[in-house]
Amino acid sequence: MNGRPVKIALRGLTKSFGKKHVLRDLDLDIYEGESIAVIGASGTGKSVLLKNIVGILTPDSGSIKIDGEEVTGLSGNARDRVNRKLGMLFQGAALFDSLPLWENVGFGLMSAHGVSRADARIAAIERLRQVGLDEDSADRFPADISAGAQKRVGLARAIATEPEILFFDEPTTGIDPIMGDVIDKLIVKSVKELGATALTISHDMDSARRIADKIAMIHEGKIAWVGDVAKIDNSGNEIVDQFIHGRVDGPMSASLLGTPAA
Amino acid sequence: MSLIPAIGRVFLSFLASTGRLAMFAGVSVSHIFRPPFYPHLLLRQIIEIGYYSLPVVGLTAVFTGMVLALQSYTGFARFNAEGAVATVVVLSITRELAPVLTGLMVAGRIGAAMAAEIGTMRVTEQIDALSTLATNPYKYLIAPRLLAALIMLPCCVLIADIIGVYGGYLVAVHKLDFNPAVYLKNSWQFLELVDVISGLVKAGVFGFLIALMGCYHGFYSKGGAQGVGSATTNAVVSASILILGFNYLITEAFFSQ
Repeated sequence: MNGRPVKIALRGLTKSFGKKHVLRDLDLDIYEGESIAVIGASGTGKSVLLKNIVGILTPDSGSIKIDGEEVTGLSGNARDRVNRKLGMLFQGAALFDSLPLWENVGFGLMSAHGVSRADARIAAIERLRQVGLDEDSADRFPADISAGAQKRVGLARAIATEPEILFFDEPTTGIDPIMGDVIDKLIVKSVKELGATALTISHDMDSARRIADKIAMIHEGKIAWVGDVAKIDNSGNEIVDQFIHGRVDGPMSASLLGTPAA
Repeated sequence: MSLIPAIGRVFLSFLASTGRLAMFAGVSVSHIFRPPFYPHLLLRQIIEIGYYSLPVVGLTAVFTGMVLALQSYTGFARFNAEGAVATVVVLSITRELAPVLTGLMVAGRIGAAMAAEIGTMRVTEQIDALSTLATNPYKYLIAPRLLAALIMLPCCVLIADIIGVYGGYLVAVHKLDFNPAVYLKNSWQFLELVDVISGLVKAGVFGFLIALMGCYHGFYSKGGAQGVGSATTNAVVSASILILGFNYLITEAFFSQ
């Protein structure tokens, strides 16, 4: 399609929780070096999609291929080997609250890459510096810093092992717009420096436009539209139009409000 | 008419929970023996479970030994059998009271703490974060706790044995006017190795059960603060019931004629 190989290929991905069908036969290709944002209303399965890809959840059916390798159903060492290619920033940062910031950032280096504590500390402090935190913060604990700073540390942890693929789950949720802008810029910088493939989950259109090259809209468990960021305002897709303009009336209303579409 | 389906649902739910617990235990135990190992985490848990439990274990043991001496004296005095007090104290402490009471006290302290810590990690996505950092949560969180509890509970019980017997000695000698040498002689005379060993075997089993229940309920907790609270309660209650049930089974295995 664009000359680059497909890094992540999703085919027929289906996931239900009891009677609630979250993902329904979802297909999506993410190309190497591409930064894509998956947008959609709350509860439409964005985070479930991401958790299936990173192996936190297992799909009911369908295929997930990373670098051409089928990863659904992998466990133990095989899954760990695949996860060494990944880095993820969680919605609430998910920092280990029993560890100081530098150990949070250096965790992947020490645990999965066999780096010594001394070297991991040096590398972690450098990563903290890259996200705008000074050396003095290295020995502080997650509970001692603000939500915005936690996101920065989460980002530093995600990029510390220089992964090939980065995942960002609602990176600007829960922080003020200025800090959101700072986080977005750090994400763009980190992705470019690493040359990584990136998948961002967001319902914040401003953030998605800043971070991504491409946007995919998820609706009723499927990808309703996918295209370049520049084309989203003229997508010609009613679902996308309703979402980006925040209109109550439209094709999404039935599933969001439980009322017939206007 | 709806009673039978309701009973069926409860029964099926019980079977599902039992199966999930058995699988959790099997996977967790297998990770104790498979690398990579985390010795610093094992050491941290050994200190947490063993060293920091010593005050509560010691206090429980000393008061239990003291009460036991006092109660058995007042009872045996009715039959002029006061001489059996030392033997009753040492056998009761080593066989039953030290392992069971230590187990129950540690279940309250450690089982609850494990469920709360792991449960909080679950609901704040820290366990998911471990997976994305290519670190197996069973290996990193569960295996060190199981192994540390399995090692440290017998150590705590051995110390409780000594402190409990000393508590009985204090009351017998200083309050009930027993001769110290005779009391100690009576304590040793009827004590056999199997009495102590059975208590230590119980302690090992109880330690494993406490850690298993704490980790299991924490690992599968959900729903935020309320879910973590429920996990903590369930960990302590289930561990306590299992301790009492397994206490009978192990006693039966050791001492049944």
